[in-house]
Amino acid sequence: MRITVDHEACDGLGQCALVAPEVFALDDDERLQVASDPAPELADKVVAAARACPVRAISVERA
Amino acid sequence: MRAVVVVGAGLAGVRAAESLRARGFRGALTVVSDETELPYDRPPLTKQVVAGTRAADDIRLAGAEDFGARWIRGTGAVGLDRERRRVRLADGAEVPYDGLVLATGAQARAWPGEVPAGVLTVRGLDDVRALRAAVDGGAREVVVVGAGFVGVELASSLVGLGLGVRVTLVEPFGRPLRVLGGTVPDAVAQAARRAGVVLRLGTGVTGFRAEGGRVAGVGLADGSVLPAELAVVAIGMVPATGWLVGSGLALPSGRVHCDERLFARTAGVAGVPDPRIVVAGDVAWCDAVRSVDGPVPLEHWSNAAAQGELAARNLLAGPAAAEPYEHVPSFWTSAFGLRIKSVGLPGTGDRVVVEEGEPGAEKVLEAHYREGRLVGAVSVNLGKRLAGYARRLQEERGGVAEAAGGSGAAGGSAGASAGSGALG
Repeated sequence: MRITVDHEACDGLGQCALVAPEVFALDDDERLQVASDPAPELADKVVAAARACPVRAISVERA
Repeated sequence: MRAVVVVGAGLAGVRAAESLRARGFRGALTVVSDETELPYDRPPLTKQVVAGTRAADDIRLAGAEDFGARWIRGTGAVGLDRERRRVRLADGAEVPYDGLVLATGAQARAWPGEVPAGVLTVRGLDDVRALRAAVDGGAREVVVVGAGFVGVELASSLVGLGLGVRVTLVEPFGRPLRVLGGTVPDAVAQAARRAGVVLRLGTGVTGFRAEGGRVAGVGLADGSVLPAELAVVAIGMVPATGWLVGSGLALPSGRVHCDERLFARTAGVAGVPDPRIVVAGDVAWCDAVRSVDGPVPLEHWSNAAAQGELAARNLLAGPAAAEPYEHVPSFWTSAFGLRIKSVGLPGTGDRVVVEEGEPGAEKVLEAHYREGRLVGAVSVNLGKRLAGYARRLQEERGGVAEAAGGSGAAGGSAGASAGSGALG
């Protein structure tokens, strides 16, 4: 799976980290960090996290 | 199921429509909205749209061609006949359904009484346009009545315009954003004052003074009158369920009562759900969204999005195969340089523990407990650990016993005092 984050659009709201904390996290300055190579079985959660993004900054291509 | 009608085209309604198609519904889909605008997202309204950094077209949720739906815009629903399975519209037309999604959201609560011109409420795009037009037309003395999320965000946006707008924020019940509980409301008050906002806390509004038919002042309970060229009434919202009165659905506190799978409950002692009607978003009063004291309404973006999707799925699946709504409430706002986030229902707690930072400092994280059990967490400019608290809230609701020292999530040592069991 390939995850692309539009860091210009990302507002650090952290909704994705609530849905898929295995893959998304905010750092100390509320900037989004994304796990580099998430396990394939997390794909559904990652897609749900992308849908939970209020500014639609995350796109996911399933493998 | 051949025909589904979605009433309401805010986030919940749009997500429901989208999800119906994504789940393979190929029948007739009708989306009904009383607004003429194409669907749009609300959180930016009081912030970027007021500021002028995002235009109406930047906040669209859907276009008129989307979802292969028939869009009925500018004509709201005025009645529901569940026996004949029809939605009656304001123009007298009737739309038949096999499945119905109720997502009519809410309206801004109006001031109880007549108001002169220049007294606005803010809920939709038109309202923000009117607000900006008043400011662009020269209004510089602005009184915002109500320091909830809408009032606080608007006050912040207006002083941030750089146009010399002077804002007085009046809150009869004390602190701004008091629903958050804990230390954050005081931090918001401080930040607002630093930004130049005049706060009048603990003072009620008695009415509006007019000159030449336009607002000129706002009268307060202490007898003073605040000069005003523009006033914004931000005293909450009223669920848009007037059209459902008489439908036989249960409407506690004016919201549509739904079971844990989002099916609308009928009025009466048993509250038997209607298998053809699901509910989503601000309008819902859902059995699955509870505090210790019982079901609570949630007026959050994430709730509207998640309920819209699940409502559609469950409507197609039918009650027997439907899934329960499992959602940890989450919320964000930003005002006066404070980026505030919450998970759970922090304001329902009886004890607050500051976990990181300190009250009033640039960054703070606090956990809220009720009778020793975690009920929520709030952060200011420090959202990093909220996901850990969300996970703990999820686990506790699922009845998972919490081991000493926390669940291993980023919530960390704060878990020590939390017990196990369901939230409510």
